[in-house]
Amino acid sequence: MLEARSALTTARPLAGEGLAINEAGDFLLTQLAWFDKSDEKTLKDLLGALPARVGQTAAAEAGTLLRTGPQQLWLLQEGRTAALPLLPSSTLVTPLSSSRSRIAVAGPKARDVLARCAAIDFHASAFKPGSFAMTGIHHTPALIHCIGEDSFHVFAMRTFGLAVWEWLTDAATGL
Amino acid sequence: MTGFRRLDTGGRIDRGKTITFTYDGSRAFGFAGDTLASALLASGRVLVARSFKYHRPRGFLSAGPEEPNGLFTVGDEPNTPGTLCEIHEGLAAKSQNAWPSPDFDLMAINGLASPIFGAGFYYKTFMGPFRKSWMFYEPFIRKAAGLGIASASADKTRHDVSHGFCDVLVVGSGPAGLAAALTAGRAGLRVVLAELDFELGGSLLSAGSEALEHWRKEAISELEALKNVRLLTRAAVQGLYDGNQVVVQRRPEPGQSAATLEIIRARTIIHAGGATERPLVFQNNDRPGVMLASAVRSYLHRHALVPKSQAVVVTNNDSAYATAFDLAEAGVAVTIAELRAAPSGDLLARAAQLGIAIFPNTGVADVVGDKQLRQVKLGGRHSVTIDCDVLAMSGGWSPNVHLTSHGGIKPKFDESLAAFLPGGFAAGQFGAGALMGTFGLLASVREGEAAGQAALAFLGSKKQVRPVDAPGIREDRAYAISPVWGTAGPKTKAFVDFQNDVTAKDVATAHQEGYLSVEHLKRYTTLGMGTDQGKTSNINALAMMADLRGLSVNETGTTTFRPPYLPLTVGAIAGRSVGHHFRPTRRSPLHDWHAAHGVTFIEAGLWMRAWYYDWAGRTPEEAYVREMELVRKGVGLADVSTLGKIDVQGPDAAEFLNRLYVNGFAKLPVGKARYGVMLNDDGVVLDDGTTSRISDTQFYMTTTTAQAGEVMSWLEYLLQCHWPELKVHVASLTDEWGGMALSGPKSREALQLAFPEADVSHDGLPYMGVKDITFGGTTVRLMRLSFSGELAYEIHCPADFVIALWEHVLKVADPLGIKPYGLEALASLRIEKGHVAGLELDHRNTLDDLGLGKMAAREKPYIGKELRFREKLQAPDRWSLVGLELMEPGKKLRGGSILFAAADEIKGHGRGYITSVTWSTELNKFIALGLYQGGLKHEGEEIVAAFPLKNEQVKLKIVSPHFIDREGARLHA
Amino acid sequence: MRLPCPYCGDRDVSEFRYGGDASRQRPAHGAGSAKEWHDYYFVFDNPKGAHTEHWQHVLGCRQWFTLNRDTARNEILGGEE
Repeated sequence: MLEARSALTTARPLAGEGLAINEAGDFLLTQLAWFDKSDEKTLKDLLGALPARVGQTAAAEAGTLLRTGPQQLWLLQEGRTAALPLLPSSTLVTPLSSSRSRIAVAGPKARDVLARCAAIDFHASAFKPGSFAMTGIHHTPALIHCIGEDSFHVFAMRTFGLAVWEWLTDAATGL
Repeated sequence: MTGFRRLDTGGRIDRGKTITFTYDGSRAFGFAGDTLASALLASGRVLVARSFKYHRPRGFLSAGPEEPNGLFTVGDEPNTPGTLCEIHEGLAAKSQNAWPSPDFDLMAINGLASPIFGAGFYYKTFMGPFRKSWMFYEPFIRKAAGLGIASASADKTRHDVSHGFCDVLVVGSGPAGLAAALTAGRAGLRVVLAELDFELGGSLLSAGSEALEHWRKEAISELEALKNVRLLTRAAVQGLYDGNQVVVQRRPEPGQSAATLEIIRARTIIHAGGATERPLVFQNNDRPGVMLASAVRSYLHRHALVPKSQAVVVTNNDSAYATAFDLAEAGVAVTIAELRAAPSGDLLARAAQLGIAIFPNTGVADVVGDKQLRQVKLGGRHSVTIDCDVLAMSGGWSPNVHLTSHGGIKPKFDESLAAFLPGGFAAGQFGAGALMGTFGLLASVREGEAAGQAALAFLGSKKQVRPVDAPGIREDRAYAISPVWGTAGPKTKAFVDFQNDVTAKDVATAHQEGYLSVEHLKRYTTLGMGTDQGKTSNINALAMMADLRGLSVNETGTTTFRPPYLPLTVGAIAGRSVGHHFRPTRRSPLHDWHAAHGVTFIEAGLWMRAWYYDWAGRTPEEAYVREMELVRKGVGLADVSTLGKIDVQGPDAAEFLNRLYVNGFAKLPVGKARYGVMLNDDGVVLDDGTTSRISDTQFYMTTTTAQAGEVMSWLEYLLQCHWPELKVHVASLTDEWGGMALSGPKSREALQLAFPEADVSHDGLPYMGVKDITFGGTTVRLMRLSFSGELAYEIHCPADFVIALWEHVLKVADPLGIKPYGLEALASLRIEKGHVAGLELDHRNTLDDLGLGKMAAREKPYIGKELRFREKLQAPDRWSLVGLELMEPGKKLRGGSILFAAADEIKGHGRGYITSVTWSTELNKFIALGLYQGGLKHEGEEIVAAFPLKNEQVKLKIVSPHFIDREGARLHA
Repeated sequence: MRLPCPYCGDRDVSEFRYGGDASRQRPAHGAGSAKEWHDYYFVFDNPKGAHTEHWQHVLGCRQWFTLNRDTARNEILGGEE
């Protein structure tokens, strides 16, 4: 078996007062895309309710579904061994598990750190658990997923993984 | 000594906390709550600076950000107004523009030559006797005039940029701002209150009233307790931008070194930024000890400073009487020079009570005291000379309309107030208080509250909010002003702009010489162009010009207000994007392996790419040649992970690619790859790459590294905006997959060793064949492609496993002598083969220019086909691709060299240029690719390459761009 | 400046990529004379005022959409998908 390597092996985790930044690397990511409303319905019949709007998530048996576009979803599965669920033939599948580095940012200061990294309203009233935002961090595409009151997962492009890590931890230094 | 003294009690300072700092190397003291200005005044220093051009002695004019004179270098940062600088333990402040010191400044000799230095002197003097004489004089003039010196050391302040959001942004925390914030805060909205000063309260801080201080404290307590309200002090709103977006500069706390620039998107904005007092214009009005009346009052109530014994107040409006009365109550002998015929009865009565003499229809004719004020000579109806320590002047108030004007809404002049008011507000923005020309305290509170209500209504909030109480705030008295801008008398040293040393005479000179518009007035005299941006000078100057031209002030107009409101350092704007954070670094998934194995990286756009390896040599020149040799004779492994990779899926995927590429893709068989070129709509080459068919409905497209993002957006644009009927989805795989090139005559052997179960024989994996296998638990894509011109393969797999796979290949093929090779060799190999790459695909070249015209399909349409054949792109003398050989061994051949025919004069653009250069290990000489007029029609000719930057010229021969293996025997081995 | 992405909501302008004039019809693929393509690509108005244009939310959902913007006041006049 070939060994998997992370883009963040040289990154030093940050553990400070009110903030922790670590890699949350064990996950599988698959993009699901379709063309018509009827395709979407067929997918819904197999996976369960799909998140209706971009920025929303839904829990499915197979994993977490993130609505990333009008006709596309991310299927996020924890661990590295999950199998893909049964999918309709009309669904286009693109594996993306290696394409992102996932960084966990957690603690009472997490929202402040993120406010120094992206032009999104991270206030607790505006960015709630179960929602996510696709935005730019230091000029790179990133998806920020709110998984708890003070807990977030940042999906950075793998090739920018270390750069985004350093940008986040550097922002934290100022707090 | 004259000047100020510190009272034993009172003020907002903490006498229990003494602070030691240095000023021009000497130890100095102040209290917590002192600014550098108040601490220096308290220590008896009135003269603290020398003016810009004339090096005249200067003292503080003001107590706020409008300060034009008292500028210091604090730590490393020049031009810091002493009035905004909070002292802290260990602060080091230095005076500027004076040598050896402000007290004794040798540069003051400039003052003697002042007649030469009038307005526009640059254009009139120092212009001869030779054409370039100005360049001779300029360095001397530059040295003689100046502000601080920029430090060359690294910035010690940590700058950050942050993003904020709110429902209501309130600018300014005076009575109007506090009332607005209370109203919005009580309704539960998200409020940000931004105050430039280090304390909240605005004009309330200088009021000296217990009742007002009580009101201020209560308001702040309530705001502090509201979780939905953020109170920001030391926060200057620097600019207002589209969409109710502002930039707030948050200064560090004293002694701290962290500063933030906060970009706030506010759904509504309440402007309550107050007003700035104007000076009066009279002879020698710039002497140390001449100050704005409100500043004198501020130093009294905030810092417990009073003139030692005598003060004169000169004014054209009612507001300065507050200063006069407060000074008198503090035991100072006060005289008022009243420029108007008579002030209101209530003011007269109070003055009489306090024993203050008033001289009506009288102004100041002259000020005596070179380094410090000693006497004031009144003139007008009454001529009196009065000894005094401080002269407090008031020419009226100018609302701070800068922010409201940033959006392009010009302010309007109000004759009765003799002030510019905001000309209007964008949707969702409101104004209150002195900013709106409302100078009464109670009215300001009411206006602030109304603005808060207006914001609530705009946001659709239905909440009923408790009204703002104002106990202890007396009924306002009316404000009256007479628009007298200066006093009669000589104007040669009557200063309008203190910072840039512009006098009333200069304004008259500008008018006389025809510089009538305010834009010309500004540039000709440099009025308003200093770091204070004319905060205390612009309006006076406009009014004077209006007078001279016989126009109203509104007709004369203002110059344009632009951000930032206060000087802003580049460091503050850059935030953390400095050093290696200037741009995000992009790393290949093989990066860590390269770093651990003797690589030298090179930047290619945002990428860090493996340039060459230690095993091959210590210098790039040495290394790439050895790496090339290895690939030509044995087998090498190169990282190609940076290539753009795109997943193209759907029933119409083949049709889509067929429209995109100039050559056919509709019938590409599954398991085959094809080199494709795509054009832009204008017929010029956009990009090239190799695209493989994975299934009937799925393709794996590659692009050049540099164009990956462009091409991705282009595909999405076509599919979403123009061809929504095509059922195709595209997804970027650049990060998902890593890739390596296995190249050289021994590459097949190496490949078989790496994947013993797979059939990678000549027929098993034919030229341009693609095969997906499972290896080590992951998908591995094998493609028989060559960039180098040798027998070669590309091995792609998901990025998580590419290091492990790379190590595996190196290990099993070690007996074959395999080694890694880098970007330099990768590039050089392809030059020998004659493959075009980024340097040739520069968006100016067509298919035909690059010798690829035959690739394009004749029948099928493709993007760019129609415009490809336009006249200009088919001209016979276009520059097209040639190969070049250096005919002079030992000489250097440089990329970018300009090509000339042998008989040409070496001048101008020549007939072409060199795009790529390399040493050829096969031909044992330097070779190049280039573009030459007429191209291969000149094959065999000798031409010249010139590199004028180094004065070099070398002889070249034009040859085919395919230097090796023209038949492709190695590829098909 | 904030732009209204139809899928993600209002976002900072730095997340977007401008895609040019959207008011004209692109000739159908394989159709159109050289003149029609020339005019489509090179000849178009640059109005001071209301302008219909393409934008891509390139750092977000990567969707393209059309926007009406007043080029003089830099004011968004309302978008369409």
